[in-house]
Amino acid sequence: MGTGKFWALSFGVSLALLVLTRWLITNEYYFFAAYQVLQFIVLATAWNILGGYTGYTNFGTGAFFAVGAYSAVVLHKLSSAPVPVMMLVGGVMSGIIGFGMGYLTLRLRGVFFAIATLALAIVAQTLIVNWDYVGGSRGIYVIRPQYAPISGSYIQYLYSLMLALTWISVATARTIERSTLGLGFNAIRDDEQAAEAAGVPTLRLKLISTTLSGALMGMAGAPLPYYVTYLDPASSFNLSYAVNSVAMPLIGGMTSWVGPVIGAVLLGTIQQLATVTISSALNLLIVGVLLIVFVVIAPNGIVGLVRGWKRARYR
Amino acid sequence: MAASIIEVSGLGKRFGGFVALDNINMTVAAGERLGLIGPNGSGKSTLVNCLSGMLHHDSGNILFEGRPIDGMPAYRRTRLGLARSFQLPKPFRSLNIVDNLRIPLLYAVNARHGAQISAAAINERCRALLADVGLADKALYLPRDLTQVEMRKLELARAVASAPRLLFADEAMAGLSPSEVEEILVVLFRLNEAGITIVLIEHIMRAVMSFSTRLVVLVAGQKVADGAPQEAIRNPEVERAYLGE
Repeated sequence: MGTGKFWALSFGVSLALLVLTRWLITNEYYFFAAYQVLQFIVLATAWNILGGYTGYTNFGTGAFFAVGAYSAVVLHKLSSAPVPVMMLVGGVMSGIIGFGMGYLTLRLRGVFFAIATLALAIVAQTLIVNWDYVGGSRGIYVIRPQYAPISGSYIQYLYSLMLALTWISVATARTIERSTLGLGFNAIRDDEQAAEAAGVPTLRLKLISTTLSGALMGMAGAPLPYYVTYLDPASSFNLSYAVNSVAMPLIGGMTSWVGPVIGAVLLGTIQQLATVTISSALNLLIVGVLLIVFVVIAPNGIVGLVRGWKRARYR
Repeated sequence: MAASIIEVSGLGKRFGGFVALDNINMTVAAGERLGLIGPNGSGKSTLVNCLSGMLHHDSGNILFEGRPIDGMPAYRRTRLGLARSFQLPKPFRSLNIVDNLRIPLLYAVNARHGAQISAAAINERCRALLADVGLADKALYLPRDLTQVEMRKLELARAVASAPRLLFADEAMAGLSPSEVEEILVVLFRLNEAGITIVLIEHIMRAVMSFSTRLVVLVAGQKVADGAPQEAIRNPEVERAYLGE
């Protein structure tokens, strides 16, 4: 399928999903839960652009996500900007941080890069904790506007926006995957020296990858203040964002756009179910156990597993 | 003598206190087949790394087709027409053989011409390159499915895909059987006939002697001989380095 066709088709699917859910579902909770799952699809897809396609493991998802959220808080305090604008600004801020991170860590590879991203998350959190304007370590209450700009409740509005962002992220990821850019990313992942020798401008491509990945994470974080109405550093920088955005592509499969989507839907749904039926403290345990299971039985994720079966059948 | 394609003057490279290359001067003429030999650790690979941009030299300068390329990143040197293959093959492991070749075509050749080559032309070129090295029927294989000699051929094909005018073949035959060495030599001769200047870095003397029109010998980071192959290996310093006092 061509890239343009995929954009159109995925737009159609998203729109149908939006209309159907808002027509059929009346219980607010389901929108609340679906928002979470969609948010994880965006985070996992964004992570996979850098982690899966380009081969750089980022443990700083929480930082990019929270920078998006806190950009929205600042905008909320300064003006009455609509949420889509907040998402754009959050995306730009996190994109800039992604660019900076890429530039500063361009000599680091593998585990050293991963450690640097972890350090970035801690530095960013420390800055926010000490920034009183956005609530510091106390956190900040964010009062939602009373009415959503479109029909339905505010949560439904945020859900619609997150669905739109999901569509954009997934379609972007697939476009990259099929493009010259994506082939260049893969070359860097496989062997950076060989890529450079083949004419791939590795530094430039790595910066594109870190910027794009960071920007999408920031966009996913921007509606968070209105979603939770109370934002504090401990929850917005929570390690679970980093762990989930690594685990979801790993479980789904990192080589294709569909992997992070499958992983996010699977893990996100299980975690929502566990939160409601058992306890929210169980979430990270579930992620951990599933991660170990998959690393052992399907190191290439669900996508890898399916491809393996297909290949075996045609041979 | 034909115009020089690369001119190296006063090239030096240190790693900490260790002098890997000391004041290297050499010229390669366009169309030449140059053999670069020397004992292990004599600086051959460091020289190739400095010339291809994987490492940056500390002193001296490099002219490629009359143009200084000091400090230029490796990918831009490749785009200019200076390609290399690696001593240990470095295929893109997750990509199939065609995609391995597609990368230099998309990133080096396209960038050089400033215009996009059509997808059909790229496919055609990939097919021709694979046919040249005898990998035509393995186009959709992954690198891990190739044999050692096929891996070397892929490594050469990928370097050649960037349409270079100068190719450094860094130990393209190490560890191969005599008949496989012959196969690689045939490929290299054919590339040279097609107009690519080749610098062959090699330990297998029989291959170097039959291939090269000129020999440069490095010992402990210094150039000790430069000339016709038969004369170069009879040079007393070269004999001392290889055979001992």
